[in-house]
Amino acid sequence: MRRPAAQRWAYVRARLLQAIPTIIVIVSCNFFLLHLAPGDPVDVLMGEAGAATEAIRDQLRAQFGLDRSLVEQYFAYLGATLSFDLGYSYRYGSTNLELILGRLSATLILMIGAFGVSVVLGSIGGLIAAVRRGTATAGAIMAAAVVSYASPLFWVGLMFIVVFAVKLGWFPTSGIARIGADYTGWRYALDVAHHAVLPVLTLSLFYMALYARLMRAAVLENLKLAYVVTARAKGLSQGKIMLRHVLRNALLPVLTMAGVQISGMLGGSVVIESVFGWPGLGLLAFESLFARDLNLLLGILFLTCILVVLTNIVVDVAYTLVDPRVVLR
Amino acid sequence: MNPSIQSRLTRAALAAGLCCFLSLGAGLASSVQAATQGGTLVIVTTPEPNLLTNALSSAVTVTEVGTKVYDGLLEYDMDMRPIPSLAESWEVSPDGKTVVFKLRRGVTWHDGRPFTSADVQFSLLQVVKQYHARGPGNLGPVTAIETPDEHTAVFHLEHPYPPLLKGLSSAEAPILPKHLYEGTDIRNNPANNAPVGTGPFMFKSWDRGSAITLVRNPNYWREGRPYLDRLIFRFIGDSGTRSAVMENGEAQVATFGSIVPAEMKRLASLPNLEIAEGGYEALAPILSLEINNKKPPLDNRKVRQAIAYAIDRKFVADNIWFGFGKPAVGPISSVYASSGIFTDSGIVRYDTADRIERAKRLLDEAGYPEKEGGVRFSLIHDVSPYGEDYRRLGEYLRQALGKIGIKVTLRNEDWGAWVRRIYTDYDYDFTSGWFVGMGDPTLGAQRLYVSRTIKSGIPFNNATRYSDPEIDELWARVAVEQDTAKRNEAFHQIQRKLTEDSPLVWLLELHMVSLQSKQVKGLITSPLGMRGGLYEASLEK
Repeated sequence: MRRPAAQRWAYVRARLLQAIPTIIVIVSCNFFLLHLAPGDPVDVLMGEAGAATEAIRDQLRAQFGLDRSLVEQYFAYLGATLSFDLGYSYRYGSTNLELILGRLSATLILMIGAFGVSVVLGSIGGLIAAVRRGTATAGAIMAAAVVSYASPLFWVGLMFIVVFAVKLGWFPTSGIARIGADYTGWRYALDVAHHAVLPVLTLSLFYMALYARLMRAAVLENLKLAYVVTARAKGLSQGKIMLRHVLRNALLPVLTMAGVQISGMLGGSVVIESVFGWPGLGLLAFESLFARDLNLLLGILFLTCILVVLTNIVVDVAYTLVDPRVVLR
Repeated sequence: MNPSIQSRLTRAALAAGLCCFLSLGAGLASSVQAATQGGTLVIVTTPEPNLLTNALSSAVTVTEVGTKVYDGLLEYDMDMRPIPSLAESWEVSPDGKTVVFKLRRGVTWHDGRPFTSADVQFSLLQVVKQYHARGPGNLGPVTAIETPDEHTAVFHLEHPYPPLLKGLSSAEAPILPKHLYEGTDIRNNPANNAPVGTGPFMFKSWDRGSAITLVRNPNYWREGRPYLDRLIFRFIGDSGTRSAVMENGEAQVATFGSIVPAEMKRLASLPNLEIAEGGYEALAPILSLEINNKKPPLDNRKVRQAIAYAIDRKFVADNIWFGFGKPAVGPISSVYASSGIFTDSGIVRYDTADRIERAKRLLDEAGYPEKEGGVRFSLIHDVSPYGEDYRRLGEYLRQALGKIGIKVTLRNEDWGAWVRRIYTDYDYDFTSGWFVGMGDPTLGAQRLYVSRTIKSGIPFNNATRYSDPEIDELWARVAVEQDTAKRNEAFHQIQRKLTEDSPLVWLLELHMVSLQSKQVKGLITSPLGMRGGLYEASLEK
């Protein structure tokens, strides 16, 4: 038998090779699906302008490359994308890569913040609910989870704004930093963190609830298993049993869900970004869809698709680290 | 100066000039007392513009930002009479085919270069006329602009064109720096996203997805203006949050489209907020229903008239637009009343007390009697993608037309699909929207009614495909007629004929006011409103 590290590496290489055709298929589907939508970016630009002339329309169509056939456009797009050229947005007068990178940090702050908060608090909540099963604490945690899980995000976000920003004035209503304050260094980081509290909290609620429920179920299931009985028989303390044995096993479903959450990261959260005026990728994707700025949208989808594929590989490998029984093939 | 051009100021123009001089003086006197220097004004508007040069796009928010950075040759008083801006004075030759503009001296661009007549020539002919959607209308007959010296621009026109002097504001025809645009790919020029102008505010930064920051131009040619140190435009996707930002004072001004009318009403009743009246006169917007005049049964004038009768405009004004508009009587807005262009006499009125009976009678006469269940025929209403108000309007239309036996189904689509359906494919029964009249109906309203603007693929043209030789002739006449009385009479004939034919249904003259904090003073000082320079705006401490 090969050493696990070498085996893992071979596995990753094979998966990466498989990823290439997968990405090509996804990218192609994206292209044709998006082009099914009626109307093109020039329709939208003219519509927003409130007026137009034939000359302007033809200029724009030629510039967007819309005067070519769909098949020609497809091959041009595929070629460019596979060489990581995401194209130019004539709508925004900037390269798509620049537009996407400009929004990336905001999205990452929001998503990583929400990811951290939801995994940590959700898992702890689930663990407590399982250990203190039947108590009022556990009941309260699970009730909170159900409410968080079921509440529409935009509503929760707006309620947070009304309560914490408008009535109490603890946090700003929206935005990522105080516009015009021109903070730098730590002061700026603090300002961003202050702005991030409400959106991160809102966004993490849903996943927090999910993790709490998964964790609770997994812990309860594991507690019934023979190895826990054995551990008890060996005389291990309850704390050691929980942390060393049960928690590790119970983390598996959480890990799966974490993979799903990370995969969705680049897409951002349209709802949260819209409610909190957060300048992230989700909003950019949303706007580009309505503006039919398909190349920009395809660029975002392309990066998201790569992230999903990579996350899947990472999660699969991570399983083997958490649970040695899982074998990579 | 060119001797062939006779200086001729009519008595009326002189009087008008004097009038506006006096009112300007009065305005200055009052603002001197009230104005506080300094401060940052935060404006909430939506959607975020896609570029910042309003010479290349007439989209509302692009214009809102561009007009702070650029100046136009002219500005307008509240009655839409031209007043000086970059042009200090102007003279129209007796044959109406030459206009001489004397330009202001000592004006510099934000980058320090001097502003000259070459900038005017280049901006208007090479940029605005080519790229601005209303450029061909505003500058149509201008064939050449001569620049005998750095401070004189001589416009040569193909034919007399009275509307010319109504479309030269910074909103419609901003003057761009030739030295940054000449010989470049104008549409992709980097200055489009970091504009350089002569206007009251200079571009500082654009945080995409959040805000645009402009700072005071210390060398602005209007002495002591602007008052504000900074203007910040903030973009927030959710209308609920936009309201919250106004409510807790993070922003001081919200534009009309950014807050739904119902919310606008509620917010204006809060102690720190109020409505900033006026500021839509230069747009003269009319909320209307566009009807597919080529599609049976809507090709029948009686059916269109019946629809016009069926709608209670007062109800729409009070309950859907919450009072931010008043019932419209025809295609030409009452905003033009002071210049004599508007009339409501001798027109077909659709707000009579017996309007429901009339509508039913017209449908009977048109050959659409009530069938089983009281339904005569069915129509689809395409709800326009402008927002919540238009969805509510759609729901109201379904009820109102149901009363006269027309069954209405609503169809909701997004921008791209809607624009394609209405303006390219003509695959619709009727839809709603607001249409601008602009400084003169020739520049705005005209395109909805004349045969030559039936052009598939161009939004907001004549998508009803209404075509009538008499109307075409009347619009052609008002474009060239220099005699004011005759010109106004032709407009009255247009108003009468169109209300009779009812190619569209005119619902409301929208009052597109803004919401402001009570600290804000001098926000709306021109008919351009938020599309003006805001150099008189100040913030009380």
